[in-house]
Amino acid sequence: MAYLSTHNFFEDKQFVDKWLYTMRTGELDLSWMKAKTEKVKPHEANPRRGLTYRDLDIGTYGYTDVPEKVRDNRSYAPRGAEIPEGVPDSQPWVSRKSELWAFNTESYYEEAVSRQWNATTDIPWDRLEGVELPEATGKSLSQLMTFLTEVEMIATDTPAMWLPRLNPDFIEVKSFIAAQAMDEARHTEVFRKRALTTGYGLMQASPVNEMALKHLRDADSFSEMSVALHLVAEGNVLTMFRFSEYLSPTDIDKKIFRLVMQDEARHVGYGMQHFRYVLDNFPEKREVLHAHLDEAENISFAGSLATELTESFIILAGGGMKKDNIEQGIRVTTQFNLKQMQEHFERLEKCGMPERKERSKLYQMYEMGRAAAQQAGINV
Amino acid sequence: MAFYADKDYTQDQEVLDAVNQVMSGNLGLRWYNANTEKIKGKPRDLRRGLTYEDLDIGSYGYSSIPEWVRTSQSMVARGSEKVGKLPDMGYVVNRKSDIWSDNVTRLYEEAKSRRWTPAVDIPWAELDKKPLPEPLERACAQLYTFLQECQLVSLDFPSRWVALINQDFIEQKSFMCAQMLDASRLLEVFRKRALYGGAGLGRASVLAEQGLKEWLWADTYPQGSLSINLTLAGLLLAIYRHVAAFAPSMVDRAIMRLAMQDAARQASYGHGCLLYHLNHQPGKQDSLHEYLDENEHTILGILGCPELLEPLIVISGRGLEKDQVRQGRMAVSGFIRVAVREYFERLETAGLRERSKRSRIAAFIDRIEIAG
Amino acid sequence: MAVSFPSVEYFEALKAKMEAEQEKFRRLGFIDTTFAISVGQNGAARNFMLEFEVYELKSVREVPSIDLKKVDFQLVGDAKTWREMIENIRRNGAADTGHDINTLAHLGEHLKIAYDSPDGHDKLYRFMESIQEFFDLSSKIDVNFN
Repeated sequence: MAYLSTHNFFEDKQFVDKWLYTMRTGELDLSWMKAKTEKVKPHEANPRRGLTYRDLDIGTYGYTDVPEKVRDNRSYAPRGAEIPEGVPDSQPWVSRKSELWAFNTESYYEEAVSRQWNATTDIPWDRLEGVELPEATGKSLSQLMTFLTEVEMIATDTPAMWLPRLNPDFIEVKSFIAAQAMDEARHTEVFRKRALTTGYGLMQASPVNEMALKHLRDADSFSEMSVALHLVAEGNVLTMFRFSEYLSPTDIDKKIFRLVMQDEARHVGYGMQHFRYVLDNFPEKREVLHAHLDEAENISFAGSLATELTESFIILAGGGMKKDNIEQGIRVTTQFNLKQMQEHFERLEKCGMPERKERSKLYQMYEMGRAAAQQAGINV
Repeated sequence: MAFYADKDYTQDQEVLDAVNQVMSGNLGLRWYNANTEKIKGKPRDLRRGLTYEDLDIGSYGYSSIPEWVRTSQSMVARGSEKVGKLPDMGYVVNRKSDIWSDNVTRLYEEAKSRRWTPAVDIPWAELDKKPLPEPLERACAQLYTFLQECQLVSLDFPSRWVALINQDFIEQKSFMCAQMLDASRLLEVFRKRALYGGAGLGRASVLAEQGLKEWLWADTYPQGSLSINLTLAGLLLAIYRHVAAFAPSMVDRAIMRLAMQDAARQASYGHGCLLYHLNHQPGKQDSLHEYLDENEHTILGILGCPELLEPLIVISGRGLEKDQVRQGRMAVSGFIRVAVREYFERLETAGLRERSKRSRIAAFIDRIEIAG
Repeated sequence: MAVSFPSVEYFEALKAKMEAEQEKFRRLGFIDTTFAISVGQNGAARNFMLEFEVYELKSVREVPSIDLKKVDFQLVGDAKTWREMIENIRRNGAADTGHDINTLAHLGEHLKIAYDSPDGHDKLYRFMESIQEFFDLSSKIDVNFN
């Protein structure tokens, strides 16, 4: 598997002699000074924002002018550099812009870098000293945190797997994925830390959701990966974060969920913009994405079997385990579940796939669930 | 490659029954008495917050991760209760001493704490107030073009491996995410600097890229880490320190002072990773020596490629006049010796003993002389 | 009131300034390192150990000699070099490129860096921004030189 450089520099007499000669005599080659590259002068459009990638969107250096198919760079040369003969092939799997581009990617990245928060110091963990939640609440919160710490890292692993496969000309997308990886590591961290500060530790793993993680990981293409991860999974998780913030038993938990939802919204934003971009620019992919959504939604529905999560939500929403609490919890959780599905289809529609509802078995389940909820007097 | 679930769940009565059960108020609560350790972690030092070190407790702690992780191939959180059938995520790195470093949790906390933002933490406008003379600006543009190549590779390395590493090593994987963000940030600042000065980008380096790819595509994580986290990071650290010392502008000094922090952290991990590896797998000494016998030549390729060497000379001497080039060569000669010395020091103290005696690099460096 | 360099009082004065600018040092991030400063004059050296933890200088003390195993690194320079650095900082508000720690120590021509372990040495660079900002606080105190 190892790659061998085309030069063995120990044995390359010409290289060594030239190096020693340069150092000894000071006769510099300087051919790099004549690099045939564009001369541009970017400016900070908004000094308060500083110098952004958007300010660098000029000419051959900019992302706007990256063509649909990148034909002239497969190396590690940064976009716009002069590329001499002999550079290695970085073996990118994705050199097609519509496979990965999204409007606003560069801004999502800049925002991510600027809005990094720290799970160690930005949560007032010391305020949990002496806080004793009722057992049902504490255990349910721990179970929710266990689920979340389990699933978050998939959004590191999966895009990171794709990162080295992306053509280096797509700097902004690669950078966005790097930022996402860090966001998700932080989420994994904060949820783990919260579970381990409840007094109950971690609780039970979620085999059904593990299946979802495997599906996310093993996509055939970047677009399929993105639609399943950024749009479906993270879209669902974003709704879940908002719900969890609403249910939070302490202000510490509220703060945690407010912070994570900022990051998640950014990822979903990228996902939506990419989905729209691929449908507009690579229309042949529509059916492929439908097929991938068929499976993503199948597995999403299977999540109903994750009763450890549903039951935790019911207890948190109802405020306890007595009959009245459970009934209230079921009402609220049902509203959340239906909202989650509704928002999923709203996103797909807004991004250019309104016909999804007609094809989707999940949508049929949603309609059945909605009807049943209305019949039960639940406001949906 | 695509994964398909074992059935169509939308048609599965089991799912509908489970939903109906729960929604009727019949909670199974199988999770409620999970068979896991009950702890209530808290920060030991309030100024530092709640660190992973604070949670190195019992079955949850990283200290209790065994050398070989055989019981988990899924993404189940370490210490949680495993139930049911769990999928195999395909991890190929399941041995602690292949990736671990005793300082990895500290470095992760430090990476988060010492973050910076290229857009606003660099005083870009200073370059407008005091633009550099053209040869110097072109040298900077070329140097920063080269450095972008290095960061594209530095970004790819942790990305290639993170999903292949067992999820039990969560702290390690988190540090790798921090590395990815560090690399993307450095890529960003180098690109911005290269373009902001107005000279445009320079030329990609065939010699450097060939060497970098050889390192990036190492067969194993320990080999790759030795090349990228210890060797490359060490070289880049030396470059950043050198350019900071000879910085032609406040902007370049600011960039290099921040960059050196990130590179030093990476080199520190690389050193710690090699040390841990050799402490636990002492038999790997020989194979790592052989690995370096084969690819240490890339150090020469990187240090000697004209796309790095010549801009450094011009920057160090402040120009192209004969005296300036002479000053530049003397400074760069010093830099090369420092970089190589420190490379061997890191290897020696990490347990790869007597590398300097075995390596062919020293003989080449000794041949560098400055005349005129 | 002026403090004399080198002395524990000089470093204590910087410590006080550092505490007053906690927000700046917090923004730079954790600094966890113990290092030594050696100031040579007339064949003898005065040695100081500085222990930084989290965001502050936790302790400083003068010691007769430095055991490299007990510090991450040691910065060694003659009194003239240190004085030039501090005077440069006081003139400019912060060290200029020719007088910051990295430049002075880079090729070992003005300040030398001694260390037992490369990992300790690397801490100088991991925390460079904070260390430099610490010394730059000299611009906010009155210093005279022994």
